[in-house]
Amino acid sequence: MSDTTVSPTATMRRWQIGLVVVGLLLLVVGGITLANDVAPGNYVGILIWFAGALVIHDGIAAPIIFVVALLLRRGGRRIPFAVIAIVQGALVVAVITTLVALPQAVKKQIGTNSASILPLDYGVNLIGFYAGLAVVTGITIGAYLLVRSRRRTTTAVRSAQVRPGS
Amino acid sequence: MAGIDVQHLMGHTRRALASPSRTPRTAVVVGRLLGLAFLVCFGTGLFSHFLQDPLPWMVFPTRPIWIYQLTQGIHITAGILCFPLLFAKLYAVFPELFQTPAIRSFPHFLERASITLFVAASLVEITIGLLNTFQWYALFPFPFRQTHYALSFVIIGSLAIHIALKLPVINQHWTKKSSEETAAAEDAVRAALADDELSSSGGRLAEPAAPAGLTGRVFAWVDRGAEAPGSPGINIVEQRAATQRAASERAASRSHSIVGGLTRRAGGWMLRRNPTGAPPVVAEAINAVADETFAAIDRTPPAPPKASRRSFFAVIGLSSLVLVVTTAGQSFRIFDATNIFAPRKMGVGPNDLPVNRTAKAAKVTETAIDADWTLTVSNGTTTRIYSRTALQALPQHVVELPIACVEGWSQTATWKGPRLRDLIDSVEAPTGATIRLTSLEQNSSYAVTEMGPEYARDELTLVALELNGEELDLDHGYPARMIAPGRPGVLQTKWLTSLEVI
Repeated sequence: MSDTTVSPTATMRRWQIGLVVVGLLLLVVGGITLANDVAPGNYVGILIWFAGALVIHDGIAAPIIFVVALLLRRGGRRIPFAVIAIVQGALVVAVITTLVALPQAVKKQIGTNSASILPLDYGVNLIGFYAGLAVVTGITIGAYLLVRSRRRTTTAVRSAQVRPGS
Repeated sequence: MAGIDVQHLMGHTRRALASPSRTPRTAVVVGRLLGLAFLVCFGTGLFSHFLQDPLPWMVFPTRPIWIYQLTQGIHITAGILCFPLLFAKLYAVFPELFQTPAIRSFPHFLERASITLFVAASLVEITIGLLNTFQWYALFPFPFRQTHYALSFVIIGSLAIHIALKLPVINQHWTKKSSEETAAAEDAVRAALADDELSSSGGRLAEPAAPAGLTGRVFAWVDRGAEAPGSPGINIVEQRAATQRAASERAASRSHSIVGGLTRRAGGWMLRRNPTGAPPVVAEAINAVADETFAAIDRTPPAPPKASRRSFFAVIGLSSLVLVVTTAGQSFRIFDATNIFAPRKMGVGPNDLPVNRTAKAAKVTETAIDADWTLTVSNGTTTRIYSRTALQALPQHVVELPIACVEGWSQTATWKGPRLRDLIDSVEAPTGATIRLTSLEQNSSYAVTEMGPEYARDELTLVALELNGEELDLDHGYPARMIAPGRPGVLQTKWLTSLEVI
């Protein structure tokens, strides 16, 4: 993003300085809180998690998403973009829901301290959700294609009707 | 020496990743929502933190009775919404990861370092927050509450700095109109610049100048250190010149121009070298494969901009909606019917109410059912001791109060028992007295807690003996527990053993 070409105004400069000062103060508070409340022995674990989060997101998840989107576009040259977009959307919803639900299914298998923690059947619910999502996706694609073909027919008929008079 | 042209690869990767939904405008729109969600989580989180660890002067509201149920329900729900929003934000700015030169100047280095910290802390914060809602602590080797609290300041601090640095861009793309005007103006400038550069430099790469300033010298020193072991006996200056020449030629042949600068060589130079030390044949092969790949990407039909941006936002909205509908039922009854993914379900548990800490986990399975159990109420030397029968003989009150856990779930229930204020009045507690509550539970930092006078004097605050029309279940704190309006569940002390006026 071409932020290099922008020269901020004086008011903006003041806001920027104010925000940086507030930000630095909060970072100091965070650092002090960490030093006071969390034993130094845990810092390595936190750093490993930081690095892990970046590697998993930037190094694994994001490239996979790029490749999947690319393959969908390549494979679907003759498929209307809207249909690809609907499929992509459904995949994103499925993945994000899985990220929230699947760890719960796993933890439930491992066991919890109380029977009312993780009381639901998350695996079964997730499969049911996928099925529902697939049905909704199918219906949406069907509806889109139907509307599109009708529109085309209407346009064709209209232009056919207009032509003799014009 | 032919090297893998990392600079070229980075430039092409960045271009290949370009997408209509990856614009400053989309980043600003998603950024606003994510910033708002972060601030909501921070505010509600601080409220929850200080309810548990109040500063001496703090007084808290007891009305509306559902205040904590609402704030903590929002904290967890907004936290879950941060997943689609943060992913969307990172998606929108992902090509920035491959900017070249990787580091242009010392401020640029600081900017990238602060963003790295911001992104890492945010991802970790929402992940451990989610794991905490179903108590999967074995996954992370650090304490949840303290780390979650400290990181929240790091995140909001980094957010303030991030907003400060991006303020010009945010300002330009805040409204749709201003964004379109900026984009049009930038296109015009870019076209003019491209003509200029091509005519003056012949499309060739500008040679990086000698290292200047502290940063430049430090990176030059790093460069020399990194170079020496891999290439013994080769004249460093010669090698550097050759590598740069090769890079310039490659860049020129592709009309791929990059801007050199004073301290920019820091990142840029490292990229133009061959950091893998691969033999020329391998490097050439890799370059060829990369060229083929990028050519294939170029041949892929591009997504239509408008439809692509619309679907991007539609997907964010839809994912967020699905998460709210399927999880918020643990905190908000209107979503109870569609609660299929939350870690708690309303009405599931003994006395039709979820349990967080069981009697077994608290190691009270024997002490709590002891026939000799009594509740000691004391004020200095004045002490009264109540058996369960004696508590039942006091005026009984029935209240409807929610129990709301820090983990986000909550549920309104019917509680019955004597008022706390009647009990402390029996030992002549002063009006403004703070009460120390002690539980039979073991291994808990909440076994002994304090309750401010705003709660202790409230007519709704009970020492509950019954729950939802039945005797209090052992897991819900039998023989007696606290229930007060607007407090976190961990402070609604179960298995009470003493109340002390302090």
